[in-house]
Amino acid sequence: MSEYMKSLLFAGILCIVCSSLLTAAASGLKKIQQENLLTDQRKNILKSAGLIEKDKNYTANEINRMFNESIRYVHIDENGQLIDTKKKVSKIDGKDLPVYLYQKKEGEIEAYIIPINTRGLWGEILGYLAIKNDGKTISGFTVYKHSETPGLGGEIEQHWFQSNFVGKKITGPTGEFVSISVAKGKADDTVSIDKRENYVDGISGATLTGKFLSRGIKEVLSGYEPVSVIFRKKLQFCKTNPNTPWCKK
Amino acid sequence: MKLPKKLSGTKSFKTFMEPIWGENPISIQMLGICSALAVTVQMKTALVMGLSMTFVVSFSSMIISFMRKIIPRNIRIIVELSVIATLVILIDEFLRAFYYDISKQLSVFVGLIITNCIVLGRAEAFALSNSPRLAFIDGLGNGAGYGLVLVTVACIRELLGSGKLFGFRIVPEAFYAAGYEDAGFMLLAPAAFIIIGLLVWLQKSITGD
Repeated sequence: MSEYMKSLLFAGILCIVCSSLLTAAASGLKKIQQENLLTDQRKNILKSAGLIEKDKNYTANEINRMFNESIRYVHIDENGQLIDTKKKVSKIDGKDLPVYLYQKKEGEIEAYIIPINTRGLWGEILGYLAIKNDGKTISGFTVYKHSETPGLGGEIEQHWFQSNFVGKKITGPTGEFVSISVAKGKADDTVSIDKRENYVDGISGATLTGKFLSRGIKEVLSGYEPVSVIFRKKLQFCKTNPNTPWCKK
Repeated sequence: MKLPKKLSGTKSFKTFMEPIWGENPISIQMLGICSALAVTVQMKTALVMGLSMTFVVSFSSMIISFMRKIIPRNIRIIVELSVIATLVILIDEFLRAFYYDISKQLSVFVGLIITNCIVLGRAEAFALSNSPRLAFIDGLGNGAGYGLVLVTVACIRELLGSGKLFGFRIVPEAFYAAGYEDAGFMLLAPAAFIIIGLLVWLQKSITGD
């Protein structure tokens, strides 16, 4: 056998061995990995709603139980009506806004949780923003996937940064929509006092991550304005649409 | 530390200790600096990275050494890389399945072990001309030497940069109340560069090189 044939044969066998090993590992572990991913998303939804304690470890079962107890996943159109996802009629015009509702057993809706999907400096940032049932006040913000620089932009996944959002407003003093932005530095030092409600402290060394995040959140939130408006003007809305889920007492 | 002469005199022991101190991959050979800058912001990630690296470099060296007599010379780099890449992807999949949180923090850096020159360097320089047992030990030593530097750098950076070790607060809150501030510079990559530089200086002045 010539030298070339030997090399080819060797390479071929090596390829088969390596690829079958990898296939086995990837398909064998896929289920566990996907469960991890789903649990992590659910954990983040619960976290944004303020249901997760900071230094406590939760098992996957606990997370799933809590999620099933208090979170409801719905699709809403721009008029605030539920979209029946079982009817497979896709709405071509009009919006389909997926929202998680935080609702204690048959009680009033406490908050609604919006999935955030925005560009970051190095890749997309995925997370959740929970807004209280007044349609104005943020009750939590989490990030579950990003590729920002660890220690710099990566700080967006840290507790200190995310806890900044709690209690801030997405509306201005007269109730108009402004969104929430990341300040450059401490919000108290850099933003005038009347706007501080709409700014959170920035991360030093990660100005660009902050910029992208602010822009992305604004885009998402303005898309979700129809939902927020329902909550802001609930009384008016419920007179005309008494059968929507947020009007039932 | 006094070890019985029997142990410290063996070839395996020398093979293991050499890369930890005298031939340390980072501080002497200046390999693998890139990942050393990236994952040393926190102790936890540095430790897991050190362990992953040890796993990859020791097993890849061993496997390559097993095949050293049948690897065709003209494609040996490709063969070495496929072995290394397979191991790295395996460990990445494993971390994602069982240590999800840590794998999230390490993000791309586990995958980047493939491009770490230490692994290929050991395969080329050692595994191709030594027995599988020695190659494995050499890999362990190199992984440990690499991990040791990583953990040292991470210890300094996490302590000065965020006042914590392994995520636990070390610098008491009272210090912050009194006006102490974390050195934010320590969280940036250049800080790791400087610390590694200082470590090299320290080591060279100890050995008198």
